Amino acid sequence: MNSSKKLGLLLITPAAIVVVMLFLVPVVLTAVFAFTNMSTSTGISGGAYQISPNALQELRDHYDMPSVAERLSQSGFAVDEPGLAALGKAGIDADIVTELRGHIGETFAARRDAERAIRNLNHRPSLREVKQISDQFNRSIMNARYDSKAALLAAVASVMPNLSGAEHQAIIAASYTGWTWTTGNFRRMASIPGTQRSLVNTMVYVAFTLTLFNIGFAMVLAITTFYMPSRAAGFFRGVWLLPRISPPVIYVLLWKWLAWDTGFLSVFLGRFGIHSRNWMLDSGTNAWVFVVLINGFVGASMGMLIFSSALQAIPRPLLYASEVDGASRWQQIWHIIMPQLRWPILFVTCYQTLSLLTSFDLILLSTNGGPGGSTEVWALATYHTALNNYAGNLEYGYGAAMALVLVVVGVFLSLAYLRLFNYRDLVAKPLIEH
Amino acid sequence: MTSNFRAWPVVLALSIVSAPLVLMYVYLLVDTVTSTAPGSLIPYEFTLRHWTFLWTPVPGRPDIWRVALNTLVFATASSAIVLSLSSTAGYVLSRLNVPFRRFFLAGVMVLHAFPSVTLIVAIFLVLQMVGLYNSLAGVILVKAALDMPLGIWIMKGFYDTVPWEIEMAGIQDGASRFTVWRRLVLPQVRPALLALGLFAFLSGWSEFILPQVLAPDNRVQVLSVYLAGLIADDNNFDMALFKSVGVFYVVPVILLFLFFQKHLMNIYGGGTKG
Repeated sequence: MNSSKKLGLLLITPAAIVVVMLFLVPVVLTAVFAFTNMSTSTGISGGAYQISPNALQELRDHYDMPSVAERLSQSGFAVDEPGLAALGKAGIDADIVTELRGHIGETFAARRDAERAIRNLNHRPSLREVKQISDQFNRSIMNARYDSKAALLAAVASVMPNLSGAEHQAIIAASYTGWTWTTGNFRRMASIPGTQRSLVNTMVYVAFTLTLFNIGFAMVLAITTFYMPSRAAGFFRGVWLLPRISPPVIYVLLWKWLAWDTGFLSVFLGRFGIHSRNWMLDSGTNAWVFVVLINGFVGASMGMLIFSSALQAIPRPLLYASEVDGASRWQQIWHIIMPQLRWPILFVTCYQTLSLLTSFDLILLSTNGGPGGSTEVWALATYHTALNNYAGNLEYGYGAAMALVLVVVGVFLSLAYLRLFNYRDLVAKPLIEH
Repeated sequence: MTSNFRAWPVVLALSIVSAPLVLMYVYLLVDTVTSTAPGSLIPYEFTLRHWTFLWTPVPGRPDIWRVALNTLVFATASSAIVLSLSSTAGYVLSRLNVPFRRFFLAGVMVLHAFPSVTLIVAIFLVLQMVGLYNSLAGVILVKAALDMPLGIWIMKGFYDTVPWEIEMAGIQDGASRFTVWRRLVLPQVRPALLALGLFAFLSGWSEFILPQVLAPDNRVQVLSVYLAGLIADDNNFDMALFKSVGVFYVVPVILLFLFFQKHLMNIYGGGTKG
């Protein structure tokens, strides 16, 4: 009998598909995209081939083929047999065509030169005719777009017939407008100063928020509410849960109201003669204070809940006995309560480290990394690189490489944290066997 | 509790520390229905004009009811997907003998701990490629998928507490495993279903980054993106308007939380992201 197996597979498949498609595939694709130079300008699907000024520059600098680039750029206007035939069809005066035949083989680098020569013909073609004629002799491949390599090579061959295979490959590579595979993202990450800055910012952010609020203040909340009458304890726990249940956008708005230059702090301190200003963004230090406060007020509630429930598990007689023995409140906290919190503290530390390292929504909404990038943490820098910035050129490939760093750290830390908290019985065998 | 300690110094200290938070939320409510002169902290009149956005759309912004409807659809649909798929998958992982069960379990555990927001770049590109960018369907699927490991994990935990005897009895009486699940086990975990459904709904209602990145268009805008756009617009600075929209946005959350606090605490206490 394997009905349990069949039913199991049937019931788990939909969840497995959704998780794989939108969770595991993105993990893999982050790694894949990290090795591309995808950006707004290359697009994310395929590309075309175009001999643009950039492509010529690349041929000169990168492939060391200045002569090829030179000739490609000079492929301009040429008086030739196919052009003359087309002129006849286009209804140009036969006398002009005959006269042009005398110039066969002449080339011009630019449209201006070609048109000057045509204007100076003895038959004096009209302005409209000059345009028509020059169009027919246009052999330039500069800036034209080709959909395939073959079309590009055919066009190149029409102006430069004798190119080597290596030169063909160089032209193809240099003129491609789509994205390509590259390891340049990681070289760039290692070399630019912004990397180090976001790393330091991230460490400051995680260290301060974690120790001061997610652990420190959460413990204060849990222990003080533990000693309070239950009504007061419920009120304070409720108040400190508000930041967690409020959506981030509205929660950060409240902080902006507090810190804005017409906000509460400015008005209140104005009574004491202190200039009104935007307290959140007027200096890097202030911005950090607010970033840590904003994240810390949310983070404290998780520790508070977990520590509180751990404290509820302390046998009451133990506390009464310690009081009868004359223990002070501090002794009680240090010798009875703290040992009880050892595992919860480890758990919250692991959990919050991971979530602080990667979360950026509250910073995005409050300081947006400012002033001048002083609160730009790694995750926010990733967002700014790949998804939203003022310049408008979104670098998906580089952003994916930055995200990959976080993904690797995330996988590593979550595996480590599971080893730490892996209870064997969670994976116990089912009791009904079929 | 303890009789020889006085509580009031602690209450006083905590009141002072909590004051900024209380102040922020009190002023959030007060400022939406009053006017305050610049440079003052005391309102001088009662007014409802900050709420006109309910019937006249803010210039250049979509209709608030349309946005609210989008938010409702987004939160409800992602919550429904999370609920239905994790109630089945959680049961399988808790009770059924499927191949690779340990592998699935380990995978769910890792994904549950894994910070999903790091995947946003890849997800953005995937949605662009498959044409689900700027659509509610796309962002609903993504939200549901990212919440799923947590949902499966929670449901598995609740199924684990259901006594095996109930199922054994059902099997003895000749019911199939599916019927046992549907008729006997599922009713046992109804509180868990309620809690997870609400949690997923609230998480969808509050979500900002995903819709902001994956569906920013006016047609499919949700309240968080709408409000963030309003605040970010330097040309129309109106704190009272922001707060009124904010209250409109946050009231359902607070109400649901007050009514279902006990159920939700099961999940919030268990260590979710944040």
